[in-house]
Amino acid sequence: MGNITLGRYIPLDSPIHKMDPRAKILGMLLMLVAIFFPAGWTGYAILFAAASLTIILAKLSFTFIWKAMRPMLYMLVFLLIINSLFLKTGTPLFTVGPFTMYSDAIFQTLYIAVRLLLMVMITTCLTATTKPLDMTLGIEDLLKPFTKIHVPAHEIAMLISIALRFIPDLIDETQRIIKAQESRGVDLKEGKFMERIMAILSLIVPLFVSAFQRAEDLANAMEARGYAPGEKRTRYKLLKMEGRDYLLLICCAALLACMIWLSAQA
Amino acid sequence: MPIQFDHVSYTYSTGTPYEYKALNDVCLDIEEGKITAVIGMTGSGKSTLVQHLNALLLPEKGVVRILDRTITAGEKPKNLKSLRGRVGLVFQFPEYQLFEETVLKDVAFGPKNFGIPEAEAIERAKKAMAMVGLETRHYEKSPLEMSGGQKRRAAIAGILAMDPEVLVLDEPTAGLDPYGTVSMMSLFSRLNREMKKTILIVTHDMEQVFTYCDNVVVVENGTIRASMSVQEFFKDSSYCKEMNILPPALIRMKEQLIEAGFEIGEDVMDIDRLAEAVARQVKKHG
Repeated sequence: MGNITLGRYIPLDSPIHKMDPRAKILGMLLMLVAIFFPAGWTGYAILFAAASLTIILAKLSFTFIWKAMRPMLYMLVFLLIINSLFLKTGTPLFTVGPFTMYSDAIFQTLYIAVRLLLMVMITTCLTATTKPLDMTLGIEDLLKPFTKIHVPAHEIAMLISIALRFIPDLIDETQRIIKAQESRGVDLKEGKFMERIMAILSLIVPLFVSAFQRAEDLANAMEARGYAPGEKRTRYKLLKMEGRDYLLLICCAALLACMIWLSAQA
Repeated sequence: MPIQFDHVSYTYSTGTPYEYKALNDVCLDIEEGKITAVIGMTGSGKSTLVQHLNALLLPEKGVVRILDRTITAGEKPKNLKSLRGRVGLVFQFPEYQLFEETVLKDVAFGPKNFGIPEAEAIERAKKAMAMVGLETRHYEKSPLEMSGGQKRRAAIAGILAMDPEVLVLDEPTAGLDPYGTVSMMSLFSRLNREMKKTILIVTHDMEQVFTYCDNVVVVENGTIRASMSVQEFFKDSSYCKEMNILPPALIRMKEQLIEAGFEIGEDVMDIDRLAEAVARQVKKHG
């Protein structure tokens, strides 16, 4: 339950929490683009500082980021193995039997690790400070211009908000089913191959059944309250961009420009 | 030997903004061979408490003693599986744990996990299904085809088939129809009387506590507010009033009669004796 931090909203009172979700989403997109410019270590240092500052402003803790990052470590270890097997450029570092480790393998992996870390930091700054509902309102507004070319902005926003809304529910449900099956002697950590398969089945089947059940209940509840996609709807909450929101966008744009300039220099 | 909680604390999501202290320095003895009711408001820590009994949750501080096992905070307990076979825990809305193609197979799943050979597990499953009132024609049904009440019975049978020494039930009758509730509660009462099982029931229903249970534990804000016999708890409505609980109908009736001038002893705890006491006094006063 408390172990999954990536994408979770953290209710705190900070200037970042109060910002307009549209500004935050756009800002995040600009920053994500910035990460993908090969701006070298200077560039990453600047981005890291900017992201850290945002995290501090948002009153989030770095252990929280670390927890969100932890699942990625396996991926990075895997990547390091692949890189060290196939990347044979740079200076050779050491040799074990027929295998030689080259510096580029390590640098390449580090490079990706840093990018991943930055991505996690920046997306966390958005997801941890924006209520899922505000997020979808923001997405809907940002997609509005595209309705002209028949992009169903409202429906997409609704889909996303429902998906987000179900994540914590499904996590809790999984935990509950794990506990229920563990009480019936299911051992998820050890056991023979066939036992392991049974253990996983005993989780997945009930999870699917309850997910479909929930989906159907929600659909009925929405229809019962007169929801119909494509209808004109008014909004309870209206978004308004303020000075600090524009400031955020200007900062993000400046950072992006800085990254473009740095990568052009390199 | 009773089941013991010795200064047990438990916190969810430690170190995150969602940190939540569910149990706070709980000390509690639960008598073996009795039916104990665990009551308390939603969110008071009842479910957290009972999940310590089969070590689904391990105490963060303190010690839990159950059967011949001692689970101490900070120590990694070994062989939890054998404990889970001996302490059967039925969750709230257990119908969501059914997953096999047929009900019979699902009920036999528990015992099979604890190393009972297939044929015997099926035998046990059939017996457990009979106990909860599911018939032969339900054996080969898919759990998905059954009604909510039948699913609940099947899920409870799945734990009974493990033949645990201690049976822990988290709101086993929530959402069942009145007939289903009575037959389920009498089953637990029978298991306790005939097979000497220790039973814990988490419930909100005071009538159930009053009618079927021997002891009662009141949980409030993660601490034990009261732990005593049902006789003592319901001797008058003072405890109930103190804890904001509506007393069982019989106790309310008894108190109204006493208020109206009847003399009824403290030990009058069932409807027949109450009627007798009233009849005696009506006769006396003509």
